[in-house]
Amino acid sequence: MSTLIEAKGLSKSYGSHQALKSVDFKVERGRIVGLVGPNGAGKTTILKAILGLTSYEGDLTVLGMNPERQRHQIMQKVSFIADVAVLPGWLKVANALEFVTEVHPNFNLERAKYFLGKTNISMDAKVKQLSKGMVAQLHLALVMSIEAELLVLDEPTLGLDILYRKEFYNQLLTEFFDEGRSILVTTHQIEEIENLLTDLIFIRDGKIVLDATMDEVTNDYIEVMVSKDNIAQAEALNPVMSRDVFGRKVYLFQGVSREQLEVLGELHSPSVADLFVAKMKEGK
Amino acid sequence: MTTITWNDQQPIFRQLKEKVIELIIDGEVSDGEAVPSVRQVAADYQINPLTVSKAYQELVDESILEKRRGLGMFVTESAREHLIESEKKHFLEVEWPKILERIERLGMNLQSLVNNNTSTGEDK
Repeated sequence: MSTLIEAKGLSKSYGSHQALKSVDFKVERGRIVGLVGPNGAGKTTILKAILGLTSYEGDLTVLGMNPERQRHQIMQKVSFIADVAVLPGWLKVANALEFVTEVHPNFNLERAKYFLGKTNISMDAKVKQLSKGMVAQLHLALVMSIEAELLVLDEPTLGLDILYRKEFYNQLLTEFFDEGRSILVTTHQIEEIENLLTDLIFIRDGKIVLDATMDEVTNDYIEVMVSKDNIAQAEALNPVMSRDVFGRKVYLFQGVSREQLEVLGELHSPSVADLFVAKMKEGK
Repeated sequence: MTTITWNDQQPIFRQLKEKVIELIIDGEVSDGEAVPSVRQVAADYQINPLTVSKAYQELVDESILEKRRGLGMFVTESAREHLIESEKKHFLEVEWPKILERIERLGMNLQSLVNNNTSTGEDK
């Protein structure tokens, strides 16, 4: 089975507020998917639905199972790191390992010890004595020691300094990720992980406004810096967005061929951050 | 490998491929030497492993790298020689005509440029 998550017409309302408006998407095995959207767009609701932490309408399958009814089975194969620290301050590192060993059938204690051995975290330390970066390391060591097929990361590096952030993704790539597993990640620090991603999903006001592989994004979206003489020609090709840079216009095009654009100026691939801004403004 | 600053004009796998070629030509990585694993390169540069695989695969297709079963990826025995040959060819056929064209457009004289460079490097 190569599809790990499949959502069809996934909807969720909180009272009169519609947080998710019938979204469809898939996450295949061996992918690193970035779920990006402004605050309140519905990212966390999607993650909660996947983890079986909220009710929803529509169809959602995670590892071929239903998260509302089969949460227990799903969670044996799914790991999760949230932006909020969930490890209690009084807990000793050694106790945390014991606890996960007892509650999680797929937890590999030796692996966790091996990961922690590479950090400065001592087994006797209490969570409250650790720095924020070390708590993240501990969390990551626990989560990477679970033989999960899907890892869900919700703002995993929030509040960490750049060294810890780099180390975090470094560890995930060397010790966790392979073609049999997938990572679904939300983050506001998109520029730091855009080269890591294989797929990109943008969500706005409860709707998916972009769902593509990074290869498709690179082929489909092209930025051109256009000199004054070529502005009319550029406008005629219906750019998605334009912005002013250094007295010149930078246009973003979707689905226009490189050959057509090459005559207008130098071609660039937009950064995910620029693309995000464009997609959030579209139609507004 | 040294750090790379990616540009946004070419896909990253192509830039990585060029970097490996550069390292081989400069002799930083020798013929027959092992190159770092896909996983290692992905972690070092914080890029997707598929991107690294794609770059390596193209280098394999061009007989610059070879896969040795169970051991990983290696630079082929005559990779450097072949690369220098093809770079020379590319320079003469693609880059040099452009440089010549630019020299002419700027109204400079090729011979005096060569003389300047080989003497003191000073103006005139």
